[in-house]
Amino acid sequence: MKNASNLIHRTKPYLFVAPAVLLAALFCWFPALKGFLESFLTVNQAGKVLGFAGLGNYRILFSDKAFLSSLKITGLFIVLFVPANTFLTLLAASLTRRKSRHSSVPEYIFFSPVAISLSAYSLLFKELFRGKSSVINRILGLNSGWITEPAGAMVTVVILGVFLDFGIDYILLMCAFRSTDRNVIEAARMDGAGGWRLFFDMELPLIRETVLVTVFLALKDAILISAPIIILTEGGPFRSTETIMFYYYVEAFKSGNRAVQNSLASLVLSLAACAMAVYNIRRRRQP
Amino acid sequence: MRKRVQRRPFDTFKYILRKVILLLLAVIVAFPLLYMFSSSFFSPKDFNNLRLFTVTPRWSNYAKALGHGYFGSFIFNSIGTSVLAALIRTCVVVLAAFAFTHLRFKGKNLILGALVLTLFVPQEAILYQNYKTVATLGMLNTWAGIIATSLFSAAQMLLLMGSFVSHGMQAYDAARIDGASDIRYIWDVLLPLSGPAVLTVMIQTLITTFNNYLWPLLVTNRPRSRTIQVGITMLGFSESGETGAQMAALVMVTVPFLVIMALAKKRIETALISK
Repeated sequence: MKNASNLIHRTKPYLFVAPAVLLAALFCWFPALKGFLESFLTVNQAGKVLGFAGLGNYRILFSDKAFLSSLKITGLFIVLFVPANTFLTLLAASLTRRKSRHSSVPEYIFFSPVAISLSAYSLLFKELFRGKSSVINRILGLNSGWITEPAGAMVTVVILGVFLDFGIDYILLMCAFRSTDRNVIEAARMDGAGGWRLFFDMELPLIRETVLVTVFLALKDAILISAPIIILTEGGPFRSTETIMFYYYVEAFKSGNRAVQNSLASLVLSLAACAMAVYNIRRRRQP
Repeated sequence: MRKRVQRRPFDTFKYILRKVILLLLAVIVAFPLLYMFSSSFFSPKDFNNLRLFTVTPRWSNYAKALGHGYFGSFIFNSIGTSVLAALIRTCVVVLAAFAFTHLRFKGKNLILGALVLTLFVPQEAILYQNYKTVATLGMLNTWAGIIATSLFSAAQMLLLMGSFVSHGMQAYDAARIDGASDIRYIWDVLLPLSGPAVLTVMIQTLITTFNNYLWPLLVTNRPRSRTIQVGITMLGFSESGETGAQMAALVMVTVPFLVIMALAKKRIETALISK
């Protein structure tokens, strides 16, 4: 009897963590490991292993012009999106960093993008930027083709990306500004620092960690972007918005290309793991 | 104070410039949302004429969106899956967080480390393998398939562990002396004590599952099984020249979240602003 209750007592903790472990194993560890191992094997469409491929799958991936072009396009997207996103959210947060009588109205507006889903924004942009005859052209007095021409489509996707991340980044940055010790800033002000100097030498460095978090999140979203592109441009026109993960989506789910699918997934996985490791080590070092 | 009185012309200029930039930015950020509301009353002609407002508002767009054959089942699937995912994930995460903070067992740190490792794996990189798993389990086109990959979150487990630890162990020791079971203790003591954290986990899961696009798109191929975020891109209104009905559908999906956001804003700020 005592033995039985002892056994229950000892297995109980494992029962508590079992659902979490089971889910993590089934939908994370196992698929990640399987994808990684399969990236070194030759696997046919049905999923049957035909043999060892070494780095063959990676060679196939890197000799695919469409993949190389998607790398370039993702690079371009990162270069355009990350600075734009950081600058605009930081601008909004710094303009509303002090609480005043009317500050809650712009606060609600800047926070509101979190309430609008990815597909809702993408569909809205599809209408607003639909081509030469579009609402945006009418307002701005432009004659751009937007999503109907390569450069315009890229710009539209970048703007869409900024809107998708705006709300959450804004609230993080704004709250970071308000968390800083006002006494330090007031003391600097007493010493005669003001305006730009005060902002760039004092207030901005004080929220450096939060800025880094938003830059990191933006970078992650930029590398992994696919869903807005599926809705908005479907990679076009002329593959001008075909990012890595959109290419992955097409190869894995439309063409059924196992070689490309597994090797690309493993590359993204390794990249994400490295990035997360660097990020965590950095954070650990901070007190 | 003295500075404000002696404001130089340049300071006034800077003040106005700041307000102008703020106004401009606010208008830009709010514009798509405002256009969505405004254009949900448009006739097809208003869209062709690139209007921003209409003089002849039409409520019929809303009727048309609601009358769409699948709109109801899209919404039903979305609410069903997100509520289910929120409930299950909260249970899973609470149980695990409790075990890691209150119980002692062999391999605890190893298991915890392995679970935290899932944070390093972006869902996007294992999309295909997960799709295969769900297909093999026969869960395509089911709620189970739609929520399968969002039932555990290491980030939320860590959040709850932080909250659980902050209450100390005295209550647990007292409950054990009283002979209360662990489940009883979790339900009667731990959950009420960690109310805000548990609620955060639930609401976060609810919203992310409801707004998820890519995964539900992949694991459903029958219209009747689709969630609203996927379905709304396939209503076919825009293609048939009924963009107004498309916008009305977007408004109906967005408004509940605008309300939640407005209600939650203060809470989120208090949680984020450390004093």
